[in-house]
Amino acid sequence: MLTLLQLAWVFLKIGTLCFGGGMVIVPLVENEVVLKYGWLTQREFIDAITLGQITPGPVVISATFIGYRVAGFMGALVSTLCVIMPSFTMVCLATEGIKKFKENKTLQNFFQGARAAIIGMIFEVGLYIGKSSIVNFKTGMIAAVALICLLKYKLNPMWVLLGAGVIGIIS
Amino acid sequence: MTLATKNNKQAEELYRQGLLILGQQGKDSLKHITGLWQEAIRLCRENGEEAKASAIEIDLVKLHRRANSLSARDKDETARPPQDEAAGIKDFNEWGVFLKIGCFGFGGPMAVFGLLQDELVGRKKILTNNDFLEGAVLGDILPGPVTMDIVTYTGYKLKKWAGAIKASLLFILPSFIIILAIAVFYDKLVVIPKVETVMKCLGAAVTGLIVSVGIKLGEQIIKNYYSVGILIWAFISSLIFKFDILWVVLLSGAAGMLIFREPAGNNTES
Repeated sequence: MLTLLQLAWVFLKIGTLCFGGGMVIVPLVENEVVLKYGWLTQREFIDAITLGQITPGPVVISATFIGYRVAGFMGALVSTLCVIMPSFTMVCLATEGIKKFKENKTLQNFFQGARAAIIGMIFEVGLYIGKSSIVNFKTGMIAAVALICLLKYKLNPMWVLLGAGVIGIIS
Repeated sequence: MTLATKNNKQAEELYRQGLLILGQQGKDSLKHITGLWQEAIRLCRENGEEAKASAIEIDLVKLHRRANSLSARDKDETARPPQDEAAGIKDFNEWGVFLKIGCFGFGGPMAVFGLLQDELVGRKKILTNNDFLEGAVLGDILPGPVTMDIVTYTGYKLKKWAGAIKASLLFILPSFIIILAIAVFYDKLVVIPKVETVMKCLGAAVTGLIVSVGIKLGEQIIKNYYSVGILIWAFISSLIFKFDILWVVLLSGAAGMLIFREPAGNNTES
């Protein structure tokens, strides 16, 4: 029961703080789930994020995986609902007063500052995941090629992951 | 590659045309510009020029906001026939759309955005393009994955809270089931050497993906040295000091409120 409450709290927090899209969940999860509570090993964490990437929904669905690892089916359910709850509530409330909301400069400035911080954390988690994922020449090449394909050729991430998966299968 | 350049040129051309019409003003011009720019946004998105697309989108929102203050209700009436919309929404019960998008929503927010727009604006004509634009802006501002935000927003537009709940749950359901199934068999799967190799290769690609997201977001958001400062501070504090994320984000937000106060005020005038 305590674990479920902890899961709920952690994922409510993550759901509230992930300004700037789904990917920013990654540094937040690393901080909370791996470093603070030690629920997942580094390997499991990377797998959780990878699985979140290769399934159709948003990356936050990694919460389902983490919740299941920590506390079974109930854990998965609680984590998933908690991680989508904050943005869900905010979107519904904001839709009512969307005009006012868009013009609130103070709030926007807050978000701007928060987003800058989130980007810093994204690079930090990139480093963290990279350190344990990039273990040899092959994985280094995959990461580099993925980065170039995404940035320079604006490839859909789905194809990049598919390519990496195929390399894994044939090698 | 050549198609991309062609699209790009076309998008810029459309944007310029919109600007020209803007000079003439008039009641229909807004609608015209909206059409042109939305096409331009679509082309940019097709090319993956996310930064450019959102720049045009912001311009479009600004334009509408100005038009709003000029002629309070005129715009809404030209943009959407209220009667049709109400009727369409009342009869709406094809929630399968969201389930479908949940199954095929690979490829990030813009892919989902496109799918939803295709279904609800293009084919069923239940919502207008304007509604969608607002949803996208909202998804950008608020926390949470943009896809999720857009789906919630659409559901809310259709049937208030009940609609939002239905849409969100249906959207998340397919991924939830897939992930849950994998989680159940994870321990058995991960010891298979082949699976381990594949996961390692995917992990390396995800590293590239994360860094690319950081760089792309950085290009959009980091506009001055203050934001660079916040970025570096957050990087260091989570790398070395392991501060609680709550404080890192809240403090940075508070700093943003102080730092960006002046320039943000100027922006509205321009």
